[in-house]
Amino acid sequence: MKRYLLTAIGIGITGAYLFPLYWMYATALKDDAEIVQYPPTLVPQRPFWNVGEVFFGRHMPSYLWNSLVVAVGVTALVIVLGTGCAYVLGRARGRWVDALLFFVLMMQVLPSSLVVTPLFVGFNLAGLLGTPRLAVILAQTAKALPFYVVICRASFAGVPRDLEEAALVDGHSRLAAFFHIAVPLARNGILVAAVLVFLQSFGEYVFARSMISDDGLQTATVGLSAFLGPNTSDWHGIMTYSAIYVTPILIIFVLLQRRIVAGLTAGAIK
Amino acid sequence: MQITLDGLQKHYGTYHALKSIDLAVPAGQFVALVGPSGCGKSTLLRTIAGLEAISAGTLRIAGEDVTRRPPRQRDVAMVFQSYALYPHMTVAENMGYALKLRRLNRTDIARRTQVAAATLGLEALLGRYPRELSGGQRQRVAMGRAIVRDPKVFLFDEPLSNLDAALRVHMRGELRDLHDRLAATSVYVTHDQIEAMTMADHVVVMRAGRIEQQGRPLDLYDRPASRFVAGFIGSPAMNILPGTVDPSGRAARLDGAEGPLLSLPMLLEPGRPVLLGLRPEHLRLSQEGGARFDGVVDHIESTGSTTFVKLKVASQAMVMTLARRLDVTLGDPMQIGFDPADLHIFDRESEASLVTQRDAPPRAGRA
Repeated sequence: MKRYLLTAIGIGITGAYLFPLYWMYATALKDDAEIVQYPPTLVPQRPFWNVGEVFFGRHMPSYLWNSLVVAVGVTALVIVLGTGCAYVLGRARGRWVDALLFFVLMMQVLPSSLVVTPLFVGFNLAGLLGTPRLAVILAQTAKALPFYVVICRASFAGVPRDLEEAALVDGHSRLAAFFHIAVPLARNGILVAAVLVFLQSFGEYVFARSMISDDGLQTATVGLSAFLGPNTSDWHGIMTYSAIYVTPILIIFVLLQRRIVAGLTAGAIK
Repeated sequence: MQITLDGLQKHYGTYHALKSIDLAVPAGQFVALVGPSGCGKSTLLRTIAGLEAISAGTLRIAGEDVTRRPPRQRDVAMVFQSYALYPHMTVAENMGYALKLRRLNRTDIARRTQVAAATLGLEALLGRYPRELSGGQRQRVAMGRAIVRDPKVFLFDEPLSNLDAALRVHMRGELRDLHDRLAATSVYVTHDQIEAMTMADHVVVMRAGRIEQQGRPLDLYDRPASRFVAGFIGSPAMNILPGTVDPSGRAARLDGAEGPLLSLPMLLEPGRPVLLGLRPEHLRLSQEGGARFDGVVDHIESTGSTTFVKLKVASQAMVMTLARRLDVTLGDPMQIGFDPADLHIFDRESEASLVTQRDAPPRAGRA
């Protein structure tokens, strides 16, 4: 009885959580009249579909490409810079490490909108605004790195030190033991963190908005915001754009999530 | 291959973990490092492996100075307490990994893995992953990973402590067999003195970062150099009770009300405070004559073959083991006999043995 109740509660919460997503897809299929109709319809009555027009009319290929460039760049940079750092923080113990972790987390707390102005000034002086996507990548990397480090640190801490020592005795150097033993065994954490960083960066808004002025280099989130004007409310277009933008992310996430779960059960140690 | 440690020191910051360790392990010997936890035995093993840096002193393996070399340049194999099998590799991959790192070709690796697997009875498990194995099988794989390399030295860090009691006894024999067959040089860390006594040619008892005593197992048993070694080697542990040398100098009285007089195998200065040690298995029910004292039965445990009698002697506790059954009730008085040659005497202050100089006591004619 209790189990059914908990299941019901779980389904209810999940439903509430996923409802906006559903509403986005539903609205994307409604025409303008139905969108503002009261009471609102739960299921589109006269579904219609406007993907092509929104996709090309709104220059989505260029926007999505730029978002992808930013997201891939940030993820690559974060993995390169953060993995070793997470490993060291996972292995080392002591007061200094705790203090360091605290500062790392502090950086995570600062909102992008707070740091964007000083970053803008700094990047401008450094001449980075000439390559605005690179500037966004750097800024977003700084933002995502603490998160990545904290998550990966936990999975490195879960890799028994004995395994690396066994690898040292078996003939690895310190560095090789890290790459061949520690990294493969922490891959689930690395994968999860990297996927989350990728998704976060794919949806980055504040830095792109502030640092990229050329519309041809602009990202999809900023492109979406161009729908919103003082007098316009093209809800159908907004939701279609959103659906096009979100669907690949959802697919990637669902696919990878499966792999992550499989990886987690397969990688059990001892 | 022989291992030589010369004045080896290990500091962790201000903590002095190993204090000038001198040890020579001849080629082909099985050496056990024993001691309570925190005594430095594992640290010592890890410095030999190269997993801990040596603060001062030298370490030679097969005559070569390897003090500053990383583990991969020492040609040692190590079996970890946790086995440390790579969870993402099969048994065969685990065993062949060191060979792969040495860039042997695939057929050689497969052949040597097969041979090692056959030695350990692992042929059927080569394709499995560590998580699919039982504790005993994992232990074997860990051993296989070591022997497949044919290293100069085998290092064991409490390899049997995660096994259940029966399997542990079985693996003890198997490990020793393996050592003999491979003519290997082995250093074995354990906190279990029985393992050390039964497996090793040479036992090193450690305490607080120092070697307390080393020697052949039975020499440690017969002539412990200190109260610590006396209490550590032997099971149940030696009875060690405070006493005082009597005015004659030929006997000592156990401290406590009406403490009995135990005759000493040597002459000591009267009034000197000492510790008197008697092994439970050296006590017997008294016949006429010989050295003896009175006690009261406090508690009895019988395993069928052995009876453990806990006694109160002058308000101090003592244990006696008898290789037969005993029909007594609690509170019965008992006369306990012993051979004065079996009496161990330690200085109360330094806890050093006062009888180590004498020859091994006669061991014949014991009931």
